[in-house]
Amino acid sequence: MSNRPSKMHSCKVGEYFDATSGGPRTLIDLEHVFVELDGHPVLQDISFTLNDHMFLGVIGPNGAGKTTLLRVILGLVKPASGTVCVMGMQPAELKSELHHIGYVPQSVFFDPIFPVNVYDVVMMGRICCIGRFRFAKKADKQRVMDSIRMVGLQGLEKRLIGELSGGQQKRVFLARALCRETRILLLDEPTSGLDMPAQRQFMELLTDLKERLGLSIVFVSHDVNVLAQHADEMVCINRSMHLHGKPGEVVGSDRLQEAYRCEFDFLVGAGDHHTTEGGG
Amino acid sequence: MLSFGFGQTALVGGLLIAITCSLMSFFIIVRRLAFAGMGISHAAFGGVSIGIAAGVNPIVTAGAFCVLVAGGIGWFSRKGKLHEDTIIGILFSASMAMGVVLLAVAKAYNQDLLSYLFGSILAVSWTDVVILAVMAILAIGFMVLFFKELLFFSFDEETAMASGVPVKFVYYGLLVTIALTIVVSIKLVGIILVSALIVIPGATGLQLSRNYRSVLVYSMATGILSVLIGLQLSFSFNVASGATVVLVMFALFVIAVAVSPRRSYMQRVFRGKAAAEPAPQEGLPPAPGSAEIPADD
Repeated sequence: MSNRPSKMHSCKVGEYFDATSGGPRTLIDLEHVFVELDGHPVLQDISFTLNDHMFLGVIGPNGAGKTTLLRVILGLVKPASGTVCVMGMQPAELKSELHHIGYVPQSVFFDPIFPVNVYDVVMMGRICCIGRFRFAKKADKQRVMDSIRMVGLQGLEKRLIGELSGGQQKRVFLARALCRETRILLLDEPTSGLDMPAQRQFMELLTDLKERLGLSIVFVSHDVNVLAQHADEMVCINRSMHLHGKPGEVVGSDRLQEAYRCEFDFLVGAGDHHTTEGGG
Repeated sequence: MLSFGFGQTALVGGLLIAITCSLMSFFIIVRRLAFAGMGISHAAFGGVSIGIAAGVNPIVTAGAFCVLVAGGIGWFSRKGKLHEDTIIGILFSASMAMGVVLLAVAKAYNQDLLSYLFGSILAVSWTDVVILAVMAILAIGFMVLFFKELLFFSFDEETAMASGVPVKFVYYGLLVTIALTIVVSIKLVGIILVSALIVIPGATGLQLSRNYRSVLVYSMATGILSVLIGLQLSFSFNVASGATVVLVMFALFVIAVAVSPRRSYMQRVFRGKAAAEPAPQEGLPPAPGSAEIPADD
């Protein structure tokens, strides 16, 4: 709490738009971000950057503030202090750039008989491209079909969303996040509730899409093993920053166990973790 | 019926109400706002009572009061940390209680009040029809212009918000539109039965289709058919028009449940009959897996 800035700072727009620096472009930049909800501190002094084409894994135990962190990036939660820059802008100014950001929420509590099919749900993702008071054009429809194909759900366009399995629904929400001009993909525990083969398939699909579409990804999960195999960098938070580095550095650190308040057994490909103080 | 002036106004007014309520009904069902609709419609009693007690047009006071209650439901459920159904229960009972007290103080229990409670579409004037048309255009305009936003918001509010959908505007806009729709519908079926008009068409459409486009078409058809048949029946048998329209609507809902592809009741009935008849395909091999099914003792 000691280095908490007194107010929000504006973004340095040049960092994103200036191509003369030669370094990787910074798409998301968080500096000393503090968040309070109902007067309670939820995030304290969070700082990290997401560069172009980077896969950033955000890990932390349940209740660590991971979802809040994504909501801060999306502009749904305003930080008490610190700087949040997304593509060189503060989240509140992002309206005209929202079509570059895809978001896959942790869970969507919809009525199983909600009368929309896979095509309709993916089309919802085009809303910021279509614009207000306008209807979807041929190009929008084609983009929706392409996105459905990309996630391997071709042939299921007419299926009611509530009739799909959990894994298929996650793919639909991924397609919805991709069917705009997506450059940044924010995923909130997209593999939770999936069995191991479905988890593996989802991660392989995501890695493939990242390469093909040149995506920059922020992937939030409480499961260290899922991310350790795919992320370029990892951040471990539990209300405050505990670790930031390459997956090997993060996984091998004692501070990870401190953050989770449990011991990890990292056998290659196994990844069971044994809780010592209740469930993290 | 159409040879009478009151029959013509009733039909035009009724159809305007049917179209508006049926479209609104879709969002009420998918957004699970049926209880909110019921709460706002019952709260209209408080608004009507204010008008009767103050000597002002009760529809005007009911409109203002219902918009206030709808806004209150929205605000309390979002900011007041109360569940939507809790605040609806509180506001609608308080509004009705206020109405009863106001009418008692003003000594205004009369025939006019009954027409607001149970509807009297046969007494609708052309001026009322014009007011209905303006309200219908406003309500339908909002739902058509913001249709994709309303659909996204109803399905997944958080992602809609993250996609730039003005969720607050859409939510309060929907509640206010529900309130205005209810107020204009009071003329047809009255405060007590109005919730049927904003719930049954959408529920009927949902029985018949799993695609929102068809659900909307079935919902509209239910509303329009109910008004047409209901008004004709009420005219022919000299019974209350609002109640007759609601009963026709309910009958259409029951038919929709019976033939619903979701439940396949009718298919099961026909399949059962076919199974009871002697099988004509003697000599054909059994269906895959049928040999493994043990016969019931």
